[in-house]
Amino acid sequence: MRSPNPPRRGLLARSRRYVLAGATVLAAGLWFGASPVAAAGESVGTCVLEKYNEHTYGGQTGSYAVKAAKADKEFGSTAAEENIVELEGKLEGCLESPNPILPETTEIIWGGIAFAVLLGLMQWKLFPAVKRSMDRRAEKIRGDLDAAETARTEALEVKASYEAELADARAEASRIIDAARADAEGVRADLIARAEAEAAELRQRSDLDVEAAKRQALSDLQSEVSAIVIGAAETVIGRNLDHDTQVQLIESYIDDVGSRN
Amino acid sequence: MSADRIGSYAEALVAVVAAEGDLVAAEDELFAVAQALAGADELREVLADRRIPAARRQQIVEDLLGGQAAETTVALVSMVVGAGRGGDLVRIIEAAVERSAGLRKVAVAEVRSAVALSEHQQRRLAEALQRATGKDVTVKAVVDPAVMGGVVTRIGDEVIDGSVRTRINQLREAF
Repeated sequence: MRSPNPPRRGLLARSRRYVLAGATVLAAGLWFGASPVAAAGESVGTCVLEKYNEHTYGGQTGSYAVKAAKADKEFGSTAAEENIVELEGKLEGCLESPNPILPETTEIIWGGIAFAVLLGLMQWKLFPAVKRSMDRRAEKIRGDLDAAETARTEALEVKASYEAELADARAEASRIIDAARADAEGVRADLIARAEAEAAELRQRSDLDVEAAKRQALSDLQSEVSAIVIGAAETVIGRNLDHDTQVQLIESYIDDVGSRN
Repeated sequence: MSADRIGSYAEALVAVVAAEGDLVAAEDELFAVAQALAGADELREVLADRRIPAARRQQIVEDLLGGQAAETTVALVSMVVGAGRGGDLVRIIEAAVERSAGLRKVAVAEVRSAVALSEHQQRRLAEALQRATGKDVTVKAVVDPAVMGGVVTRIGDEVIDGSVRTRINQLREAF
């Protein structure tokens, strides 16, 4: 996602550049201002040479005066020794800046030119490169942030969808469980009813079987008894059917047939 | 065997008997032969067995009936057996007796009793049956010990049952 106010970001980048340039100028000024050579307004060698040439001793100047003072010092001359100490003090003064803050004018000019050139070069090449690099990086970060936001949005949508599906699945599972429970209850009730019906039918059938067996037994007994009785009667009748009885039966039959009209 | 073929054989027997003259005696002999065969399963099977030569089966008939029945009767029975109709001999004879009686305008009454009926009893029974049925009746008496006592008469499809056996059976069924 792109920033809604790009010019403001360019202004901030420019301000950062100015701050960086100012800091560089300040650092360079401090560096050059703290230098002893810069403080003297001349090089150390020139200062030393000048102090050396201006040195005097015994009516002589320069290197002659220094040689004369060293010779007299070897012979124990206190004035010569002090003269040499004085010269050393002057030479040491060449190494110290008279103003630790403000450098010489020429140094400031050359330093300013060098800084301006350096600043121009940086403004021309370095800063645009750095800016492009930072822009690319910022763009990449923005892209990454946008992608991350998109991914986050998608993840949230997926999560919402997943949660909705999960809720649906839970509801469906609950419904299935309830239905299964209801079915199981129905099957259980049906089985119980069927078992009770079968038990009742078995009891009824058992009663009927018992009753039928009882009737069959009575019938068998009656048949057996009747067969015995009939058999016995048949035997008795057969034994008692003598010739006279047979004739009597035949006569009775003839009379009976004759009486039919 | 079809009824027509049985009827044809019966008519042939009656025609021969009528030609010979003594119709009643021939009826009695044929009826007696039929009753004897009805109670002899093994003999019926032998006479009906076509694997046995016809001459052999006819010889059996002649050996059994020879000297006990008229030659005409023996010849007629032998003829039926020789023609391979021994299995239908009883039905052929019964049909012949019925037709012979029909020629004489009388009905055949098959009378079964445990003991033999006397001539007097047969005559009285014939008269009684004649009064009961309104037909002239000729009695064919059969001694059947299974009757035990009393008489069973069959005239055509009508049965007049006065046997002890039937009464005992009715008593058994009543139980």
